[in-house]
This record gives sequence, structure tokens and C-alpha cells, in this order.
Amino acid sequence: MLTRTIALLLAPLVAATALPAPALAQGGPLQITISEGVIEPLPFAVPMFQAETAGAEQVAADITRVVAQDLIGTGLFREIPSTSFISTPASFASPVAYPDWRAINAQALITGAVAVNGDQLTVKFRLYDVFTGAELGEGLQFTGTTGGWRRMGHKVADAVYSRITGESGYFDSRVVFVSESGPKDDRARRLGIMDYDGENRQFLTDSNSLVLAPRFSPGGDRVLYTSYESGFPRINLLDVASVGRRQITTVEGEMAFSPRFTKDGQSVIYSVSTGGNTDIYRTDLGSGAHSRLTSAPSIETSPSLSPDGSRIVFESDRSGTQQLYVMPVSGGEPQRISFGEGRYGSPVWSPRGDLIAFTKQNAGRFHIGVMRTDGSEERLLTSSFLDESPTWAPNGRVLMFTRETQGASGGPQVHSVDISGRNLKQVPTGGFSSDPSWGPLQQ
Amino acid sequence: MSAGGYISGIGHTGLLIWLVMGWGFDSEPLEFDVAPVSVVSGEEYAALVAATSPQPQTEQPPAPESPAVEDTPPAPEAPETPPAEAAPPPPPPEAPADETPPPPAPEPLPEPPAEAAEDIAPPPPPPAAAPPPSPLPDVAERPVPRPAPRVAPTPAAPPPPDAQVADTVREAATPEAESPEVAEVEEQATAPEEATTEIVTEAEEPAAAPETPPAPQVAALAPPSAPRPPSRPARPEPAPETEPRTETAVSQNAEPEPDPAPSSDTSDAVADALAAALASTPTPAAPAANPGPPMTGAEQSAFRVAVQQCWNVDVGSEAARVTLTVAFDLDPQGRVQGDVRRVAGQGGSDMAVEAAFQSARRAILRCQGDGYVLPADKYEQWKEVEMTFDPSGMRMR
Repeated sequence: MLTRTIALLLAPLVAATALPAPALAQGGPLQITISEGVIEPLPFAVPMFQAETAGAEQVAADITRVVAQDLIGTGLFREIPSTSFISTPASFASPVAYPDWRAINAQALITGAVAVNGDQLTVKFRLYDVFTGAELGEGLQFTGTTGGWRRMGHKVADAVYSRITGESGYFDSRVVFVSESGPKDDRARRLGIMDYDGENRQFLTDSNSLVLAPRFSPGGDRVLYTSYESGFPRINLLDVASVGRRQITTVEGEMAFSPRFTKDGQSVIYSVSTGGNTDIYRTDLGSGAHSRLTSAPSIETSPSLSPDGSRIVFESDRSGTQQLYVMPVSGGEPQRISFGEGRYGSPVWSPRGDLIAFTKQNAGRFHIGVMRTDGSEERLLTSSFLDESPTWAPNGRVLMFTRETQGASGGPQVHSVDISGRNLKQVPTGGFSSDPSWGPLQQ
Repeated sequence: MSAGGYISGIGHTGLLIWLVMGWGFDSEPLEFDVAPVSVVSGEEYAALVAATSPQPQTEQPPAPESPAVEDTPPAPEAPETPPAEAAPPPPPPEAPADETPPPPAPEPLPEPPAEAAEDIAPPPPPPAAAPPPSPLPDVAERPVPRPAPRVAPTPAAPPPPDAQVADTVREAATPEAESPEVAEVEEQATAPEEATTEIVTEAEEPAAAPETPPAPQVAALAPPSAPRPPSRPARPEPAPETEPRTETAVSQNAEPEPDPAPSSDTSDAVADALAAALASTPTPAAPAANPGPPMTGAEQSAFRVAVQQCWNVDVGSEAARVTLTVAFDLDPQGRVQGDVRRVAGQGGSDMAVEAAFQSARRAILRCQGDGYVLPADKYEQWKEVEMTFDPSGMRMR
């Protein structure tokens, strides 16, 4: 009797649980969802590039090292030392012995060849996905001058990086920066330019006057910077190739600073300070026409354009503290996007368009951080005594910034960090340096 | 005797009824009328006084409490008449809010309330002013220290409003961005796995165990991947373990075979009830045709772990925003047959999807080694695999 009662009570329950069974018992492929992976550098092998002409051995070896260093420097790749190689390709055209590379767990294999004809340098490479047992993309060939061998290496590395990560590279690019020398209270500053990895450093100005905040043009052929040559901050335009420069006629004011090119490189947006009020203006480089973009009684500065050229992010203290705002490129009502604790400044829109990098000062520390363009998902990537002036790599993957160390012997140094917060490292600049501006990939 | 017995019985019965009905216990409870006494702790009292500080008049009710606190100080310091009056209120520490305090209140009121009001308004003077007056030091000392903390928090309070405004706005922004991710994870991570592991397993295992025609074939074909197969066949034996969960399937299938009728009433009753309940629902018998025993959760997890330990995610890349589904076939040894095919990819540009695909394919191919370790007797279940790679949980953590 009791059993019958229990059975009757359980019956509906059991029936309910049995219901979905037929629906789920259908055949078809096994469904597996992978939501956890590993974060580790991808191991690659790059046997020394073949020298296809006599005397090309050295440059072939040098270029191979540049390719390897570029990839390793991203923090996303790990080179398998050549001493581990079981075999090496006999020639650039010879087939790849995949098992030999699988055995040493190389996931990517880069082979290449270099030929030198007079002053002309030819580099070609192939990339293989070892575990797939197939070539990743097609072989490519670059031609240049022997003097530009480093760029050839960067180009090979860019192509490899792009094929594996799905993003464009950033190795064949240059950075303008302010090189500093002398005692802390009397630093001489001059504009410098270098490869992204700190090589091929050159100076663009002398150290007779104070220079600040250089900014590359979208094409990488010109540089805007703030100069105190006249005693007051003024905006200058410098041609990188000829090193010729001229002062830009801006709106009248006590100070004009914080310039940046618009997307087309034909206009400049900048700040002008008059009577304690600072606003953002735009000047057409061709016609010299000015337009005022903000008109608040507060301080608005550090404008940076979105990559599509439709919006401007800038910093303002209109709320009482320094915060980030976004407004249409033609001006208009700004929308505040930073709401965390502390003060936000020097915003820079990512070339990808998805993030805005900024400097944050909070609780006595400086941070370089990124947030989405609506202010959400704020992440701080660095923390130190003084971090400032972030600038994006041309692919929006890496940030370069200035880190200043404390004390009388301290000084600014250019550093870089991946937007994941990993791979923080100093960029060699041969001394103190600040205010980096990362240029575009070279053509 | 009988008459006496009846009288006694009726009398006692009446008494019992009278008692049971409760008529005999009516009067007492009334005296225990619990007065609505609210307990006021020191902090609450402080809050009360702080709130009423600007209005000296309203302080009258709290005033009696302050004398109540005096109880402790009077003993060591000065035995005077006023403390004696305050002595009765010792209960007040328990917080006689409305009723008891009022009587003593009028008496001490004239003196202490005035001082209390003064103290609260100007916090700095109290400490200095308190000690001198000997008759009233008790009253003075107590209020003095309290006003200070009370006054202090109030001026500090104003700033927060500014910050609070900012907080609210920010909170509104973050949840919006997060919500979609959470949704994705739940959908793809849990639903399909639970479905295939638990219910299907239990429903089909007993039925399919005796059949196992496909399994032997597979086993014969797959000697190299031996380690696992032996352990799997062992499972059908402990079938009783799984039975409790799947009473439905077991009982239904069991009925025709072992217990036609001779069983006892109880089993019949259970079986009847279950059969009746199942009769109204589509029976699971149809789908359990050939596919063999389904993969258990542990077997699927092992497969998942084997692949994910080779899945290298570049968390900062665009590809880390791509949720990708690929399909591939496995041979009986657990090795990938043919190539890995892209089924779907969303969340990024074509290049990002392609990079995500390459990464997923590398993971599958690299970790297969000599073949994934999968139960050979369930080859039909895993010969085709559809694998979804969802990096949303790893992104930028």
C-alpha cells in the first residue's frame, strides 16, 4: 500500500525526468566545448636563412636574427634554439621534413634565403605550420638595398606575425621621441627618431630649445611637436626626410600645444590657452582656417581622433577633476567616459578603434591603462612612480610610454607593454628619452 | 459504589474538560503584558542625538538616557542626590524609550538638556568645560565625549554625495558590457554536455550493453589504443549504480524480460505506476537504436582537457574575441582523419576568424599524438566531433 502510494507520487516526477531523454539522445557528432586554453609563447624554429649568393652569409645571418628577435620581442613567440634542430633544409626549395620539426615541438617553421647583387638585397621566406604539415600562406620576396637589411628582416617578421596571429604586424615602423641629456634640473631635449626596436637612432632637431610631445603624421613623413623656441609654446611641423621645419599659424593665445594630426593629415587639432582657459581648436594646414571645437570655461586638452575620424577623445577638468570625454569631430556636447577614482589624462585612440589608452593618476601612483571607447572594461596595464604619454603600435596591440624613475639620478625611459599587460620592457634609446610617438608601418 | 463511581467520573470529567478548555488559566497572561520597549544601543542613541542636535527641544526624550549612563560614573566620583534620582533608571540602559523614562525626565531635564545642547553644538569647548562643575560633572562628562564623534561624522558626510554620483553611472556601464559574455559562456559550456552525459547515458546503457555489436568490431580494429577499452567494458557490470537514476528506462525495459507476472504486489504497483506515467510520454526506446553507449561526462572531460592543453590563446588578439566551431572525424585509434573543417566563427574580422581557426586546428592536431584516448566501444559516439572554442572566459584576465 505504502509502496503503491510512493510509486504513484514518484511517477510524475520520473516521467518528467524521462521526457527530455529522447530529445537529447539524438545522434550526430560529439559536441565538445573548449573554454579553457593555455597562454604561452608559440614555439617556432627559424634556421639561418640560406645565402644564395657569395658573400651574403653575414647579412643572411643578421636578417635571421632580426626576424627571430622581432617575434620573440612580442612575448607571443618562443624560439627553439638551432642546437635542437634534428635537420635543416638543404635549400630554400627543398621539402620540409615535418616529423623532424614536430619532434622538437616547433609549431611554426620559417625558412628563408638571401641574395645580394651589388647594392640590391633580396630576401624571400616561407612559413610552415608544422602540425598541420602545410605551408601557411605563400612564399614572399622582398627587395631593397643592403643598407636597409634590418627593414627586410622586419618585413619578414611582420608577414609571419600577421599570418599566425591574424593581425597586421608592427615591426617595420619607426618612433619619434624626445631624447634627453644633462642634469635633471637642466635637461637638453631634442627630437629623435628610431626603429620600433630602438635601432637606427637619429636626431631631428638640435638641443638649443625645449621640445615636447612629437606626433607622427598618419603617413609617417611629418612630425608635429611643441617648441619653446620663441619662449612660448608653439606648434611646429617638421618634415622627416628633409628635417625642414616651420611654425604653424594657430589661433592667437598665450600657449598652443598638444597637437595631433587629423586622419587625412591635412589638419591639426590642438589646445590653445588664453587667460587661464584652455580649449581645443582645429586648423587646416593648407588654408590656415581655424575652428573652435570646445568652449567651456574649464581646461580642455590632449585631443586624439578616432581612426575613422568621426570623434575626438580629450581630457577636461570641467567636472572638477581631470577626466576623459568624447565628442564629435566637429565639436558638440562631450560625453564623459571615465568614472573611476583618480585623474585621467593624455587619452589616445587605438588604431583598431576599439580601445582608448590613457594615463591615470591615483593614490600616488601613475598607471597606463586602456578602456573601451564607452569607458567600460577599464584595465590598468602598468603602475609606477611616473608613467605617462602612451602611444599605440600601428596594429593597436602594443603601447609605448614614458616611465620616469625617482631620485636625482632617475630619468625618463621609453617602455612598451602588450595590451594584455604582459611583456613590459624598456625600449633601448641610448639614454634618457620621453614622449614617444609610434608611426605607421612603413611602405 | 456505582453511584459514587458515576459521580466521581462525571466530576473528574467535568474538571478535565474545564481545564482542557482553558477556562481555568485565563487570568494570568494579562499581567505579562509586554510593553513595547525598544532597545536603544549606545550607537543608536548617538545617532538619535546627532539627528536631533539642531533641535534642542526634541532632545528631551534622549536626555533621560544620558542620566541613565551616569550610573557608572556616580559610584566612583561623587555620591550626590541627583545621581540617586538617576539610580532608578538603571533599567533604562535596556532602553525604555517611551514609557519609563518620561517620569524621571522632567527632573533632570532642566540641568542636563541645556548642557547637552551646548555640547553638541560646539564640540571643542565641552572637554574643557566639563570637569569644573562638581555637582554636574557626571552629566557633563558623558555628553561631552559623545557629541564630538557625532559632530565629526556629519561634516565628513557631505563629500560622499559627489563620489556617489560617479559610482552609479559607472556601474550602469560595466554590467552592460559583461552581460553578453556571461550569456555566451552559459549557453555553450553547459547545456550540450549535461544533456549528452547524464540522461542519455543512463537511459541507453542497460539497453545497449547486451547488444554491443559495434563495439567488438571497433575493439578488433583498435588494438593499439588498448589501455582504455578494457576499462570501459567493465562499466556495464556496475550497471546497478546507474539504475537508481534511470528507474524509468530500467523498469520499462525490465518488465517484459524478467518479471512477467510472478513478482510481488509492491513491484507490480511500482511498475504499473511508472509504466502508466511513461505511457503518456514519448518512450525513449526509439532513439536507442545503434549508436552504442554514449560518452560519459568523465570521458568527454578527458577529451576536452586533452585538447585544451594544446589550445594556445593569445588573449590580447582579435582572435580572442572569436568563438569558433570546427568539425573533424576521428579514426578508431582516435586520430584525426582528413582535415579539420571550420563550421562557424563569429566575433571578429575574417583575419581574426582565420587566425582563431588556425589556432584551434593546431591544438587539435598537436595534441592528438598517436590518437586521442577515447573509449573504443563507443566509437560511434565520437567518430564525428564538433568542437567549439570559446575564449571569452580567458580574454584579458
